[in-house]
This record gives sequence, C-alpha cells and structure tokens, in this order.
Amino acid sequence: MNHVIQIKNLGKIFKDFWHRPVVEAVKDLNLTIQQGEVFGLLGPNGSGKSTTLKMMLGLLRPTNGTIELFEGHGPEDVAAKARLGYLPEVSHLHEFLTPRETLLYYASLFGLPQADAKRRTKELLQMVGLESVADRAVGKFSKGMARRVGLAQALINAPELLILDEPTSGLDPIGCREVKDLVRLLAKSGVTVLMTSHLLADVEDVCDRVAIMNRGELCAYGSTRDLLRNPDVVRFSIPGLSAEAATEIRHQLEQRAARPVHQDFPEMSLEAYFLKVVSPESDNTAFKVAPFLEKTR
Amino acid sequence: MKILRRIFGIFLLALRASLRTKTVFALFLLMATTVLLLPAVVKGDGTPQGDCHILVLYTLGFSFALLCLSTLWAACALFAAEIDNQLIQLSATKPVRAFEFWLGKWFALLLLNAIALFAVYSAVYVQLRWKQRQSGWQESVQLVSRSVVHPLLPTPEEEAQETYLLLEKQKALPQGLSKAQVLRVLTTKAQERYTIVNPDESISWRFQLPRPVATNELITVRLRFDTEYSTRTQVSGVCRVAPAASQAPALEIPLDDFSLQEIEFDISCEAFQQTQDLSAINLSFTHTGNPAKASALMLRFRKDVVVLTQGGSFEANFLRSALVHWSVLALLAAFGLTLSACFSLPVAVFTSTILLLLVMIGTSVTEVVSVEDEKEWLKKPGILVSRGVSAVAHHALRIDPLESVINGERIENRALGEALLWNVLLSPACFGLLGILILRRRELAAGD
Repeated sequence: MNHVIQIKNLGKIFKDFWHRPVVEAVKDLNLTIQQGEVFGLLGPNGSGKSTTLKMMLGLLRPTNGTIELFEGHGPEDVAAKARLGYLPEVSHLHEFLTPRETLLYYASLFGLPQADAKRRTKELLQMVGLESVADRAVGKFSKGMARRVGLAQALINAPELLILDEPTSGLDPIGCREVKDLVRLLAKSGVTVLMTSHLLADVEDVCDRVAIMNRGELCAYGSTRDLLRNPDVVRFSIPGLSAEAATEIRHQLEQRAARPVHQDFPEMSLEAYFLKVVSPESDNTAFKVAPFLEKTR
Repeated sequence: MKILRRIFGIFLLALRASLRTKTVFALFLLMATTVLLLPAVVKGDGTPQGDCHILVLYTLGFSFALLCLSTLWAACALFAAEIDNQLIQLSATKPVRAFEFWLGKWFALLLLNAIALFAVYSAVYVQLRWKQRQSGWQESVQLVSRSVVHPLLPTPEEEAQETYLLLEKQKALPQGLSKAQVLRVLTTKAQERYTIVNPDESISWRFQLPRPVATNELITVRLRFDTEYSTRTQVSGVCRVAPAASQAPALEIPLDDFSLQEIEFDISCEAFQQTQDLSAINLSFTHTGNPAKASALMLRFRKDVVVLTQGGSFEANFLRSALVHWSVLALLAAFGLTLSACFSLPVAVFTSTILLLLVMIGTSVTEVVSVEDEKEWLKKPGILVSRGVSAVAHHALRIDPLESVINGERIENRALGEALLWNVLLSPACFGLLGILILRRRELAAGD
C-alpha cells in the first residue's frame, strides 16, 4: 500500500527573538500513514499534535527531520497542497463573508472553474446543512455552524488526504456522529484521513490506527484494535438470554476456566441513547452526508 | 488559467475585506467631506487663480494625502492582520504561491485607489468647471495644458562638471572635500543660480520648441523673478521675441507691471509673418528701468524663464495628473504589503509612517545640509538616512502633478511614462520580490 505521509526523525524547537531555544515541541517523530486509512493522532494539551500537523501543512518549518507527502512531495509543495484538505482546531474564517462566498473563495484558491466551484459549493452547503443560511455573514454564526463551514471548505477540492484537527469540537452529538460517519464514508471511498481529537471515543470509533504523543514524543503507535486489546480477557455478548441461562453458563465457565467470571448487562453509550431519542431526520441543520457522498462517487 | 483564478480569488477577497469594513466607509466619508466642504470653507483671494489653487492644491492635495495614508495602512494590514488573526492558516494550506497572494492583494488596492481617485478628480473637475462658469474665468488663463520649454543651456550637472574642471585647473578646489561633495554643491548652486539683470542690461535665451508651432497658434512666455520690494514699481523692461530660423524682425513686448513676481504674456505666431511653422525662437529681455531708482531683476534662468506652447486639452492633463497620483499610490501599496509580510500590524504601520515622514522631510534635510554638517559624526547617520530615503523617493516623486495642473503645464508623456514605469512596475517588482521571499521564509503559524 502507498504511504500518503511519511515522517522521519521530525523535530521542532521553538526559539525566542534571540534564537535561543525555548521549547522542544516535537522530538524525533517517525510515522507513516497509508493510503485510505483513518489515522488518529492523540495526546494531551501541549503534546505536539498541532505542531506536527502544522509542519505537515507547511505552516511551520521543522527544525530537523523530513516530511514527505504523497511519496515525493514536501509540505510546501503546491502539488501536494492541491490534494489535501485541512480543518484547523478553530475555524478562523473571514467574518464578513457568507458561507457561500467562503467556499467560493477557497474553491478559487484551488483554481476550480467557476461552474465547478458553484456546483461543489452547493453540494457542500447541502451536506453540512447550511443551505438556508448560505447568504448570512459567517461572523454571526455559532461555533458549531462555523465549524460546519470549516469542514465544508476542507472538502471543497475533493481531497485525497483530509487533515482534521479536533473535527468534532463545537458540534452537537448529532453533528459529531455525522462527522464520524463522513470520515468513515470518505475512508471507504479511498480518502486518507488524519485526525486529532481529545474525545478518545471519537478516535476509537473511526480510526484504524492511532499514535499517542506526550511532551513531543511518540508514546504508542499501532492499530487501534491491537493497542486496545486486553489479551487476558474474553467477552461474550448474547442478546435475549434469560437470567437462569446466564447463571448456568457462568457456572460452567467458572468451572472450565477455574477463575471467577464477571457478569454484567452492557449499557448503550450516552451518544447512542441521545441519537435514539433525538432523530437526525427531524433536524434541518444536520449533515446530509450520504447524498453528498453519492454525488462525490 | 489556475493562477489567474487564484489571483482573482485573493483580489476579490481583499476588495470585499475593504468594502465591508467601517474604516473604509469612514475614509470615503472623510474624502467626500474634504472634496465638498473644503472649497466652501477655505476662502480664496477672489482671483480665478486663487479659486483654482484651493480646488486643486488644497482639495486634491488633502484628498491625495488621505489616500496615501489609508493605502499605506490598508496595505500594512492585508498580510499582517491575516497572520496575526491566524486567518492566513487556511489560505496558506491551499495550493497558492506567495506571489499570487501578493499580486491579488496589490491589484485590489490598485483598483480601490483608482476608484477613489476617479471620484475625487471627477468631483474637483465638476467644481472647477462650475466655478469657471460662475465666475466667468477665461478658459485660456486657467484650465489649459501647455508644454513647457526651457532655454537651451547646459544641464546643472554639466555646468558643475565644467566649473569643477576650471577650479581644478586653477588649483582652487576646496581642501578636505571629495570630488562628489564638491560636485554636489556645485550642481545645487547651478540649479539655483540667479542671473542679475541691472537697468540698461540685456539677457537673451534660445528655445527649441518640442514640435513645430503652426502660424495660427499662440505661444506664451513666462518670466518669474525677484526684485527689491520697495523699488519694484520703478522696474520696467522690454521682451524681444523672434523666430530663430529667419531674419524676421523681433516682436517687442513692453513690460511695466512687476508688482507680482510673475509675468506671463501670449504671442500669436501670425505676428511673425512666417509661412513656415515655428521650431525655435530667440528671446531677450532688456531692463529699461531708471538706473537711479530701479533695482536689478534676479532670474533663476534654469527655472524661471520658460516658453509655453499648446499641448493638448486640460482634461487630458488632469487625467495624467490622476495617473501620476495613482502610480504613487501603487508604489505605497507595494511598500506597505512588503512591510506587512515582514512585521506584525502595529510594527508595520509604525515603520511605514516613519518612513513616509522621512520621505516628506528627507529632501528638505539634504537641501540644508552643509559640508560642515557632513563632517560631524553626530549628524552623519541622520544625513545618510535622509539622503538615502530621498534618493529612493526622488524617482517616485519627480513630478508634482498638482503644481503642473494649476500652472497649466502639460505633464509630458515621457514624464508620465517614467512615473508609471518606476512606480507601477520597477519599484513594486522590487518590493514584491522582497515581500514574496519573506512570505516564503516566514512561519505562518504558532505552535501549540
């Protein structure tokens, strides 16, 4: 499989006005992200995640090491930039522009012809559920709405690599779910996704592989399933089993394993319960991911 | 094609940013107030020249100064504010090159300045024509465009070189000064040198006209002079004008009103009774005042004695003046954008304003600097900086278009071309290259 991002011995030291080192934000980082995978970059505040992303995007210059995008391009190479989409942690948008103008502006930066830009803008506004407010200034939007505009601009060029910095921040649970669905669907259609998030459940839900950073260093790196797997514990889920049958099976398992067996009734997550109660179909401003992806395909 | 789309996108964004902010709205309001209220508030001396001065020099001059400052500060904000507010992070991750950013923003400023200048110049033009109709000015006196012809003389630099060689031959060169210093002083002296015409003395000049003047055209002679205030009523003289190529008798024009420091008179070329177009003329002036009572007349002959020939319409000249102003604004926009790429907004605005002030006073500083001043180590850095800034600004501000408009002097195509070449192409290209290099090197984001 081709790698979309390859990072070798990456380091970043921030310096003060007199060029004295102030903080070593990233230390000797090595990562490879394959085409079509959803990769999660995790870490506490100040761990160097955003610095790493900004170096991948050419916004910061590495102190040492190399970053290779799409096999052979540097982060400042416009050919690489043309193939990626980026959603920053805070959607810094021009407040005087409307969502439509914002998307048309970013489309123009990709050199899209006017007709394509308009079509794409319309589709994305539909997708993020902002069609009804497409001509209102972004400065008057809530954080969540601005986030949707940010997400739409990241997809304006139908990117091959999508870099999402805290994509669900500021979104309501329905929006979060939709973003995760979108990420999954994009990955299915071959888009590589690199995301950071503080919400570990989000990462667990969608990421194929994760890397965990702390104080600028890589602490763990591998597939989500491998990293989270507890090799000493086996769990069975049997829906609709009676209490008597469950007790009997438990006894048998205890005899067989010669160890105590823990028995409980799994709860659904709060997110799943919320989504069950609040139907996405009833919300006009919700993401409409499926039709968008149909069109994209 | 993609490059053009990207540049157009950035251009459109910069335009929207300008037009949708209250600051720009306030600026347009201030300019409208200046253009409409200033001529009504400032009282002239009642003469057509006075009205023309107020409208052109004060109104247009003040509006242009406002535009200079606003262009400079807007340009300083275009990159600096985007970097400070992290807005540039999204744009910089798109496939846009630094020069596309720079050009898109610069073009937007060019268009905004063109619109603002068009509005101001149109308003002033309408007021000029309205005043002309109201006050019954003679059009030929005020709203004209005439080519300025200086007498055939060696340039100040040539004269300075000659004087230097003479002093060298006589071993009379001042001690302790370099050749460049001596030449600079001699050139300044040559530029400002007065010719003194005492009573009963004459002085003559030859003028090569830029194009053959037809027999039905008018030419104008203008003399500017200094004389002693108390005896100026006693000064009188005669000007003799004759075609240089023929033996035709000279026209004699008696002059007796030397109360103002300028005399201008028209001559119809028909008076020379020539069949051929006029290509060169000889002009002489004889002081005919009473030697006992009248004082001498002083003329800076390089500047003060000119022949003016018809040179297109006033409207075309007015447009040329607007183009010169637009070119200066283009240069300021380029300069501001480059500073904006280097510094944060407050630093860029401070630096640009200080440099603008230095440009304004730099020439005055270098003019009054004496050779002794140059030797003092304390004054040396200031002199060097002022000289450097005024040398750079010299090309940009070579023409004073408003002065030309109020004097009815045509801004020559060559001068306009030089202004456009220097201010809209060469200097912005240099500033642009510097700005682009800095943008490419600069980190556009902060860390976590």
